[in-house]
Amino acid sequence: MSENPLSPHIQIYNWHISSLVSISHRITGVINILMLSLLCFWVWALIFGNDNYQLIFKFFNSVFGKFFIISFIWSYSFQILSEIRHWFWDLGYGFELKTSKITGVLVILGSIFLTIILYSIRGFLF
Amino acid sequence: MVQINLPQNSKIKKGHYYKDKTGSKNLRKVNIYRWDPSTGENPRVDTYEVDMDNCPSKVLDLLNKIKNEIDPSIAYRRSCAHGVCGSCAMNMDGKNGLACTKPHSEIKGDINIYPLPHLKVLKDLIGDLSTLYKQYESVQPWLKTTKKSDDTEHHQTKEDRSKLDGLYECIMCACCSTSCPSYWWNGEKYLGPAVLLQAYRWIIDSRDEDRKERLKKVADELKLYRCHTIMNCTNACPKGLNPAKAIASIKKMLATG
Repeated sequence: MSENPLSPHIQIYNWHISSLVSISHRITGVINILMLSLLCFWVWALIFGNDNYQLIFKFFNSVFGKFFIISFIWSYSFQILSEIRHWFWDLGYGFELKTSKITGVLVILGSIFLTIILYSIRGFLF
Repeated sequence: MVQINLPQNSKIKKGHYYKDKTGSKNLRKVNIYRWDPSTGENPRVDTYEVDMDNCPSKVLDLLNKIKNEIDPSIAYRRSCAHGVCGSCAMNMDGKNGLACTKPHSEIKGDINIYPLPHLKVLKDLIGDLSTLYKQYESVQPWLKTTKKSDDTEHHQTKEDRSKLDGLYECIMCACCSTSCPSYWWNGEKYLGPAVLLQAYRWIIDSRDEDRKERLKKVADELKLYRCHTIMNCTNACPKGLNPAKAIASIKKMLATG
């Protein structure tokens, strides 16, 4: 007799909106910490002179830099909206299947919407 | 701990193919997870062609038909066939549920049937639920009271009784717990949605006098707070209950005192 196998789990289990938003919440959380550290590093680098500013300025205006900024804005928007959803859960609201599905979709769509808005008005902010 | 890949002895191999012998034109392919403890081989997925013209509506009927007419060696638990006993809980079409209440017409394409996820497989579709039962025992799911009432009922107002609605209906089929990624990764320590719903069922019972102790016992980083509101449990529950909400209610009680 051989050792009992483990039945398949994540390999076969369907994704639901709620599980997708949940894992994305975690991933964006990690991304945000990394990105914030990078921003702090940027500010720190400015102390050491004008050249650094030019370098960073160039980076953020390159294609990759823009991709970087858009990803960051999305990641932050997602995290904030998803966190608001979590607050309501913590207060005990929004657990019905239908409600949680709708709020999940709202978080996804809202994060895309917020990204577009924030990116298009960035000129007024900075 | 998070372990995405299956261990070596659990990797699934391609299995046998059972071709239709009835000559029916209305065929469906049914893929079923198989593991035979006597062979020492890895699990496999067998494919059966089933004549759907002569098959009743539920997935359990489909399994019975296969067992009766095609392959008697297939093993699965079943008893009441009416969604009350919880024996035939399994993973169908990527989602946990009771085979006896799940219509196969709801499944598009091939019908994939696996045991409940992340359990030690005993044979074919039968998973080992002894850990879950031990955890259930640990929340002491019985009425604790000092009131002596050998000949009368423990009275409860209608409002207090209604607090148990959505909790007492749980049949402990384990669909929710085995759908939960947190329970997959920390099943030894995290109690899981089924057991926490049961814990809450006794915490909220107005007749029970052990509420404080019960809350204290469950208030644990691993036992309770591994719930991250993934909501797979509520999505899976074949009785339409809401374990995620029950867990949140425990958390709220602990936070508000």
